[in-house]
Amino acid sequence: MIRKAFLAGILFSVLSGSSAAQEITWPVVSGFKLITKYPVYTPDNLWDFINGAADGYNALGFQDLHVAEYKKGKDVIKLEIYRHSDHTMAFGIYASERSSSFRFMNLGAQGYKTGGSVNFFTGNHYVKIRTHSEKAKTLHAAESLAMRVADMLGGDNKMPELLTEFPDDGRKVNEETFINENVLGHQFLNKAFRASYGPDNDNFDIYLLKPGTEQEAFAAAEKYLSTAGIEPDRKEEGKYVFTDGYNGTIFLSWKDNMIVIISGLAKDQTDLADQYTSAILD
Amino acid sequence: MKKISRRGFIKTGAAGAGMLAISPSVFSAGSGKQESSIVHRTLGRTGLKVPVVSFGVMRSDNPGLCKAAYEKGITLFDTANGYQGGNNETMLGNLFKEYPRTSFILATKIKPGQDREGKPARDATPENFLSMFNTSLSRLQMDYVDILYVHDISNPELLDYKPVINTVQKLKKDGKARFIGFSTHRNEPQVISAAADSGIWDVILTQYNYRYAAMDEINRAIKKAAGAGIGIVAMKTLAGGGFLDRERTKPMNTSAALKWVLSNPDVHTTIPGMTSFEQLEANEKLLTDISLTEQEKSDLVAMLGEPGLSCSGCTRCVSSCTYALPVLDLMRAYMYAYGYSNPAMAKTLLGELGITGDPCSNCNACSINCPRGFNVREKIADISRLSSVPSEFLA
Repeated sequence: MIRKAFLAGILFSVLSGSSAAQEITWPVVSGFKLITKYPVYTPDNLWDFINGAADGYNALGFQDLHVAEYKKGKDVIKLEIYRHSDHTMAFGIYASERSSSFRFMNLGAQGYKTGGSVNFFTGNHYVKIRTHSEKAKTLHAAESLAMRVADMLGGDNKMPELLTEFPDDGRKVNEETFINENVLGHQFLNKAFRASYGPDNDNFDIYLLKPGTEQEAFAAAEKYLSTAGIEPDRKEEGKYVFTDGYNGTIFLSWKDNMIVIISGLAKDQTDLADQYTSAILD
Repeated sequence: MKKISRRGFIKTGAAGAGMLAISPSVFSAGSGKQESSIVHRTLGRTGLKVPVVSFGVMRSDNPGLCKAAYEKGITLFDTANGYQGGNNETMLGNLFKEYPRTSFILATKIKPGQDREGKPARDATPENFLSMFNTSLSRLQMDYVDILYVHDISNPELLDYKPVINTVQKLKKDGKARFIGFSTHRNEPQVISAAADSGIWDVILTQYNYRYAAMDEINRAIKKAAGAGIGIVAMKTLAGGGFLDRERTKPMNTSAALKWVLSNPDVHTTIPGMTSFEQLEANEKLLTDISLTEQEKSDLVAMLGEPGLSCSGCTRCVSSCTYALPVLDLMRAYMYAYGYSNPAMAKTLLGELGITGDPCSNCNACSINCPRGFNVREKIADISRLSSVPSEFLA
């Protein structure tokens, strides 16, 4: 009994907590030998695996990474399963590495393939599968593996809900991103979804922030306006255009706990900014 | 699209005030405004004059931030083929196509396939390397890069790997890369020293910071390499990202950490990562003043007193243990269990070490004084308990 309690205790102490390892049951790929000699990477040593890119992963709530290789002759398929703190963070890291030019697939919440890579995100996971082989059979095996891993991991297989708030008109599809900190390079602006637009030769970005409370939304807007020497007269909502010395003309609006920032338009394009802002806030 | 409100934006007349409030200098600066007062160093045999602070772009997706850095006099921008899946290079390409090509220095990195030990993998072929390099050039919208690094040479075996070495040398000969170098992420002293002997490399990008474990060794290696004409670029200069603890409650004096790096005259520039204008403005000050103040020196001493996040492998504990325990390996087992959350791997290592119980149980006082402040005895007692846990519980 004492021994049982001890075992339970030590297992709990080793495996519990936010950094506890995810349980991975590696799928079998017919004809390929599974190799799992890699350690489980954590925020402390992710740098050993992906070098300088690790900072970007850690900034998006990276928890741990499991790596496996499938080998058949000279062909290798490498499977990397990154776990992040939540679905939004997983989308953030996935979106930071995708390009709208890739061939998108119905895989997890979203996936794509390019060259010998198949990447997707689902739930809290970002999954990268790649091979340098150009053999059709190996590429097919990589794609099949992706499907099975997506099924195995499960989790939320939809895009983040806030993305649906962005107007469709002129939106550049599959260029949406999530910025966890330092939105537009400002430390007081955090956790924004960004969509890029290009209607009628106008190119601009819309940032959408949804803090937990109206007070937080107002505080962020007030802070931004204060850098331009502006004091807002209402807390519940506001619409301002001003010049940010680094980012140029900014259209800043908020209502309740939602903030919309438009960057990239000229100061005389208030009608266009108003059109998009109102589509989100009204 | 939803209903459109006719409520208009409040047009403020305070645009100028806004500029002044956020950035007093950027609009009037123009490129190289502070050129005369910026501290430059010559990047070894490349002859490139580089500001002591350059820009590690890896995490930045904001071209406005890179533009502001350029306008403040930062001219070397460091990216990699793999950063943000290539979007990092694309962002820089879109930005710099507007600027004279000779007004900035672009460094990128290509990582050949490697196994876990850093040895070349089967896919580390010239064809794959060239394919990635050409993709980088395309994203950057450039005909050449100023510095092409082989990304992550941490095993001397890769340093001599001809398929890759011959490829980067040919790219240099063909004018696609003005200078060639490599980044190194482990075993830095050995790799840097070996590179200094080879005569191949123009630039080395290495981890270097005030907490580096094998300080004497890396200082000797850097001195040797710089003496051989190799340009030295320092990365990971903050030793862990600006905070002294995992909870990010203890911010470090980042300026002190960077100035410490630059106090070594053989280090020619640094590439701190920046994602905010506040960080840029803090680093801007270092462009013209890299002398450590008394306060910064005190802060460095205090920062060194913090335990930090992980065993640095400095080996000082090895000779101090009365019972000659394999302390480094035991700390590694501890990291497997708690850092990697892989107790099975930790137990395997304990088995290989012959640990069957708490090896410190007969010792009255621990003779190890870890420079990182680790309570080594406590960690050994903790991890050695795993040796008695049946493997099936840990699978």
